[in-house]
Amino acid sequence: MMMLRRLSSALWFCAPFVVLLVLWAVFIPYFDVNPRLFPHLSSVIQAGIEGIKDGTLIQHISASLLRVAVGTVLALLIAIPLGIAMGVSPIISSFLTPLFRFFSVLAGIAWIPIATLWFGYGFGAITFVIFNAVFFIVTYNTLLGVSTIPLQVRNAAASLGAGRWAMLTEVLLPGALPNIVTGIRTGLGFAWRGLIAAEMIATNLGLGYMLFVARDFYRTEVIVLGMIVIGVLWLLLDRLVLAPIERATIERWGMVQRA
Amino acid sequence: MKDLTIRNLSKTYFDPYAGTNVTAVHDVSLKVEQGEFVCIVGPSGCGKTTILNMIAGFIPHTGGEILVGGRPVKGPGPDRGVVFQSFALFPWRTVLENVAFGPKMRGVRKVERERIAHEYLALAKLTEAAGRYPAELSGGMQQRVGVVRALANEPDVLLMDEPFASVDAQTRMTLQEELTRIWQEKRPTVIFITHDVQEAVFLANRVVALSKGRVLDDIAVDLPRPRSWDALNDDARFKELSGRVLQLVRSA
Ligand SMILES: Nc1ncnc2c1ncn2[C@@H]1O[C@H](COP(=O)(O)OP(=O)(O)OP(=O)(O)O)[C@@H](O)[C@H]1O
Ligand SMILES: [Mg+2]
Repeated sequence: MMMLRRLSSALWFCAPFVVLLVLWAVFIPYFDVNPRLFPHLSSVIQAGIEGIKDGTLIQHISASLLRVAVGTVLALLIAIPLGIAMGVSPIISSFLTPLFRFFSVLAGIAWIPIATLWFGYGFGAITFVIFNAVFFIVTYNTLLGVSTIPLQVRNAAASLGAGRWAMLTEVLLPGALPNIVTGIRTGLGFAWRGLIAAEMIATNLGLGYMLFVARDFYRTEVIVLGMIVIGVLWLLLDRLVLAPIERATIERWGMVQRA
Repeated sequence: MKDLTIRNLSKTYFDPYAGTNVTAVHDVSLKVEQGEFVCIVGPSGCGKTTILNMIAGFIPHTGGEILVGGRPVKGPGPDRGVVFQSFALFPWRTVLENVAFGPKMRGVRKVERERIAHEYLALAKLTEAAGRYPAELSGGMQQRVGVVRALANEPDVLLMDEPFASVDAQTRMTLQEELTRIWQEKRPTVIFITHDVQEAVFLANRVVALSKGRVLDDIAVDLPRPRSWDALNDDARFKELSGRVLQLVRSA
């Protein structure tokens, strides 16, 4: 029963995309659109198959994913402890908050020029941009999450004998988790967009680069293929990684409503 | 389990907006013997929560002293269990894990602390709910968990701040009866705060009436146990005691 409902909701999710593909397959040939402006569905599929066969597509995808993974993990490793420190210490938080206001506006692609000067073109600069996009949002959301934990819940833990470490792992982290997850979601969304922009400028590998180069050769089928891959990867990341984490934790605990 | 001594306790809050001091508790002295069940009653704003929070160590006191088993209170600790009006359960822990939390903090092994938790859950008729999360329980059930979570840690003193104020009248009566039953079985030292005079007389060995931060009087409740609402509703002695406490609280 559960499986069936999952399946039907997945199908329903795909339905509008199927309609879009059908319209594409029918109308682009029908109006005889110049392939330099927009490709046929078949040539995009062709480009996809070629890209997989000669390995270039996989190379671009894995380069992009690796940057996102490394940048995000590094950001989380620093952002969550920092956010919690800010959440428990009014001094730290009031001292750092103005900085965070300032830098969160700048977070993302505004850092590309200087990042390329620091790290050169490629992995370092782009990972730095990702780091930036995730770091500020997750720190801020962690801080927010800690401050939403009711004082009484912290008091309860203290009067049951929780020391500093237990307070951190048993109360502050799980209590802030709903906000941390929101922060990761939003941060990754920004990071993903920032990634594509950064790769257009600062590298010679990755999905953004693939789009950008294809433009020079009027290869619209590669451009559109790249756009589809970018969108689909994001959906997969969201549905297969983030959503299951949410289901297993904060939804199970009844801390947020089921989406 | 140990006794609790409060001597000349006072608390002055600073109100940063008005820029003035507010004295919420004046010179309160109180002795609670080991195994005693004391209710503190008084109207809203008379300083009940303030007193309890000072005993729990959540806020510092500004005068006098609080001794648990002869030792002064400095901050929260497992020797004083607290039951909150807002339940304050851990939403990310199952009922069983909530109750096992105190023993876990003491370093009790998993098998053993789950045995303890199951024992206390059975005491509150919550065995069925062990694997559920707090959000899946009714208010009455959540507060049962709150009570046994505090008890399972075997504190010297159990502090309860209007724990049954946010459940419906029916459930409240059941919870009150259960609490007296559990108290008789485990005999913890209890300080129970309420503004409900009948609740106080129903539960306590002794009712302390409070008004404007001062203790008015202390009334011994000699009703027999086990107590039930069925028996006490028309009980002359219960009515007399409730009447006396009510008069005391209202006279101030
Ligand atoms: N943090 C605070 N800062 C300033 N004044 C406070 C603070 N907490 C309580 N007070 C004041 O202290 C007095 C006693 O408050 P307290 O919460 O102890 O009353 P209470 O008897 O528990 O009331 P209730 O029955 O409504 O819960 C009140 O006048 C209240 O306004
Ligand atoms: Mg109160």
